[in-house]
Amino acid sequence: MSWSRAVYRALLRLVPTELRELHGDDMEEVFLKELTSARGRGTVAALGVWLSALGDIVRRAPYEHWRRRGRRRPKEHRVHSFFSDLRFAVRSFARQPGATALIIVTLALAVAANTAVFTLLDGLFFRPFPFSEPSRLVYLNEKAPRWNLDFTGINYTDFAMWRTRARAFDSMALWSDESVNLSDGSNPERIDAARVTYDMPTVLRIHPVLGRMFTREEDRPKGPPVVAIGEALWKERFGASPDVLGKTLRINSTMYTIIGVLPREAEFPHGAKLWLPFDGDPNSTDNSYSYDGIGRLKPGVTVAQAATDLIAAHGPIWLKSDTSHFVSPRVDLLHDRFVANFRVIGRALGAGALLVLLIACANVASAMLARAIFRRREVGIRCALGASGSRVTRQLLTESLALAAIAAIAGVLIGHWGLKLLLASNSDLVPKWATLAVGVRTMLFSIVIMGTTTVLFGLVPALQLGRQDPGEALGAGGTRATGSRRDRRLLDSLVIAEIGLAVVLLAGGGLLVRAYANLRRIDPGFRPAGTLEFRVALPSAKYKNAIPQMAFYRTLIDRLHAIPGVDHASMITCPPLGCHWGSFYKAEGSSPLAQNEVDPVTLTRYASAEYFATMGLEFVHGRPYRETEGAVRTGYRPVVINEEFARHMWPTVADPTGKRIGSRGDTSSNWTTVVGVVKDVKHYGLARPMIPGLYFPLTRIDTASDFGSFAFTVHTPGNPVSLFPAIRAAVRALDPELPVFALKTMQTALDESFAQARTVALSLAAFAAIALTLAIGGIYAVLSYVVGRRRHEIGIRMALGAQSGQVLRMVVRQGLQLVSIGLLIGLPLALLSARLLSSLLVGVTASDPWTYAAVVVVLTATTALAAWIPARRAAHVEPKIALNESS
Amino acid sequence: MRRHWFFILLSLADEDRHGSGIMRDVLELTSDELKLWPVTLYGSLDELQEHGWIRALDKAPASAAEEGGRKRWFRITPAGRRALSAEVARLDATVRVATRRLAHSGDAT
Repeated sequence: MSWSRAVYRALLRLVPTELRELHGDDMEEVFLKELTSARGRGTVAALGVWLSALGDIVRRAPYEHWRRRGRRRPKEHRVHSFFSDLRFAVRSFARQPGATALIIVTLALAVAANTAVFTLLDGLFFRPFPFSEPSRLVYLNEKAPRWNLDFTGINYTDFAMWRTRARAFDSMALWSDESVNLSDGSNPERIDAARVTYDMPTVLRIHPVLGRMFTREEDRPKGPPVVAIGEALWKERFGASPDVLGKTLRINSTMYTIIGVLPREAEFPHGAKLWLPFDGDPNSTDNSYSYDGIGRLKPGVTVAQAATDLIAAHGPIWLKSDTSHFVSPRVDLLHDRFVANFRVIGRALGAGALLVLLIACANVASAMLARAIFRRREVGIRCALGASGSRVTRQLLTESLALAAIAAIAGVLIGHWGLKLLLASNSDLVPKWATLAVGVRTMLFSIVIMGTTTVLFGLVPALQLGRQDPGEALGAGGTRATGSRRDRRLLDSLVIAEIGLAVVLLAGGGLLVRAYANLRRIDPGFRPAGTLEFRVALPSAKYKNAIPQMAFYRTLIDRLHAIPGVDHASMITCPPLGCHWGSFYKAEGSSPLAQNEVDPVTLTRYASAEYFATMGLEFVHGRPYRETEGAVRTGYRPVVINEEFARHMWPTVADPTGKRIGSRGDTSSNWTTVVGVVKDVKHYGLARPMIPGLYFPLTRIDTASDFGSFAFTVHTPGNPVSLFPAIRAAVRALDPELPVFALKTMQTALDESFAQARTVALSLAAFAAIALTLAIGGIYAVLSYVVGRRRHEIGIRMALGAQSGQVLRMVVRQGLQLVSIGLLIGLPLALLSARLLSSLLVGVTASDPWTYAAVVVVLTATTALAAWIPARRAAHVEPKIALNESS
Repeated sequence: MRRHWFFILLSLADEDRHGSGIMRDVLELTSDELKLWPVTLYGSLDELQEHGWIRALDKAPASAAEEGGRKRWFRITPAGRRALSAEVARLDATVRVATRRLAHSGDAT
């Protein structure tokens, strides 16, 4: 057939079927005749024919359809037959409600897992940030390899230098996540906020919903007290009233004027509810590194170019203050920075959900196939009565389609609901900026999933049956074994595939569960039982410096001690899990730092003497400092260090108590004496290594400095949760404007730190459980089928003297054969895919022999059980009945 | 009566034809002015059949054997002939009125 005929025939699909069926060939002939004669007159004429023919179709086809409106379609028409197929499908489902429900539930669960996981991955990876041209957005920070720090946080002076000198950026901004006390007299509230430079909205390309952002003039040291609030706060506190501009908010006991409302996207990345001017001073000599930066690259600039540009811009800093080049700027794609932590998890969940879907498809395919084989006689009759092979295939595909459609709808709903439940129980699973919603994309995804499943599980049996010879089918409708080898092989391979995939999921799930169990067993270094923590932040408007601040804290400690049931109460600047403050130290007598010598950052904390007892820290050497020890005037300065610090400073010394240290930059002879060494606390999370750390007594605090926030830890022999109301009351009694925040038991803090690991482990374990169930179901279905088909043969065997035990063993052996092949295929696959998980595996290798052995044992044992039931049925075949049945 | 219908009926008035024969004849009758492209042509033929003004022949007439193929041939029915005659009469009347009017106005100028 020429291509012009093919194209024209395709175009004729636009006219009503009746007309096409009646005159289609003639229409083609007429067209081709015109085209042939026109070709003789040249290409232009031929083109004219094409255009006229196209115009003819476009003009006339709508009329032809309109003319036939409301007409009953002839019997064998496709659309009509689709509905009749559908009715037929519904009838055949209704005959087997149990089996149908099982298939739907299987598929729905698989679709649900995929919908949930897809929504998660979509929000995290596929959907860009809610900003225009997100690929041009970069995350700015600084790094200090010699301090063992990949991210030091940005120093404001450095940032100011970059902002004036860098050329590769359209704009850049700095932010600092903070939480502030928000009060309107009666109920103080601690809310997440951020101090940002005025150009943050410019970088993100977002515009205030109302009012304006603060200006460059307002963003300066001692600038006016103005605040931009977020949409959420605006709705919550002001009922989204437009009169909010000019109103005041009491933040940290200072009145701020509201000048604008920023949209929801501005909450990026950590859910700030309001924004205060950064008020940075470019000439400050403050060398604290703690802020985050964001920049928008000029069009066409790569990250590498931007990094080079930023290093050039950083030059004066190295000349002036950081002459040994400790700190240098770094540039990362915003997406990479914020998604990196979720990549492995996303991959694991995605692959897990996909495997579940594949197994479910194989399972349903085998169920449909077995069902179809039993319907062979019916199909044979239909074929014999004149139904074409494609007609039968279509009928079976319609059945699959109907099942898939129902399952897809149910699956999307369950998935949506399941994800909500998952997120509600585990808010750390995804970052706050990710918008997770079942939207058009998820729907599209589910439609694709549904289409794929239909093809995967519907096409195989449909083709298999559509191909058959009616005579053979009519003959084979009974229990005879003829013609079943092909079906059998297909069923076997489906089950083997299911088992192979189930092995992968079981191994992955097993490894993650083991890793999670290992994580839980890691000693955090402190005693979580009976311990709780909370934080209080004092507004600087009311508590100017460390003198009133420390006075407040000491009173609070006294009040805490007075609460019945409290046996220890203490305070620390930086409690474990979720806080960092670094500094640098040298040992007395050590040589000055050589060029390029590593000087790891030391976690520095001020803690009251009772902290060690409260948290149950274990002393390896020495003792805690005493409450009164170390006052400046005495000249004696004690410190407690951790094991890692001791190892780093004095690798050869067994007991470093009595050794002295000083600040890295301090040239005076004010040495601090080590009085004790405590066991390392897993400060940054159980799976993370601990860095050097030390504790200074509160007496060391400089009264002129600012210690506006402290964390408090309390221990009780009883249940710490029961102390919560008394603790809130104690703080309120001292200052009703102060909110108590981050109040939780240490056990909760610990649980939160591995919530993500738990969710991933449990999700994959659930996937693995589904996979195992489906695989067992598959084995059971196949063996039942086989036993059903072989009743006759078994009957003969038993009539000839086979023992029922032999028959039983024969059937179970068949089941185990399938499992062995599945294991042979699945185990190497599992080993390969487990490597992808290796960064999530704590204390267990990707090739952990125990896990794999357990997978083999579990699969073998469960399939043997699944095979037992049909095997028993076979063993109880009455030879006489079985032989009679076949006639 | 629609213009397509009129010329198709006219084309079938003297002999049975198949689709492309009708197309060629109509083109000739209208001095290359009206070309019935396939969908319009067969759509109209289908419509005329439904009106009962033409009918499709079961097989090609013996005279057309050399044309080959399995083209469908059409023949005008008595009803179609009556409809055609009525239309011709109407057109004739219209033409006469128009001619008179034109002749009259021609005198006036």
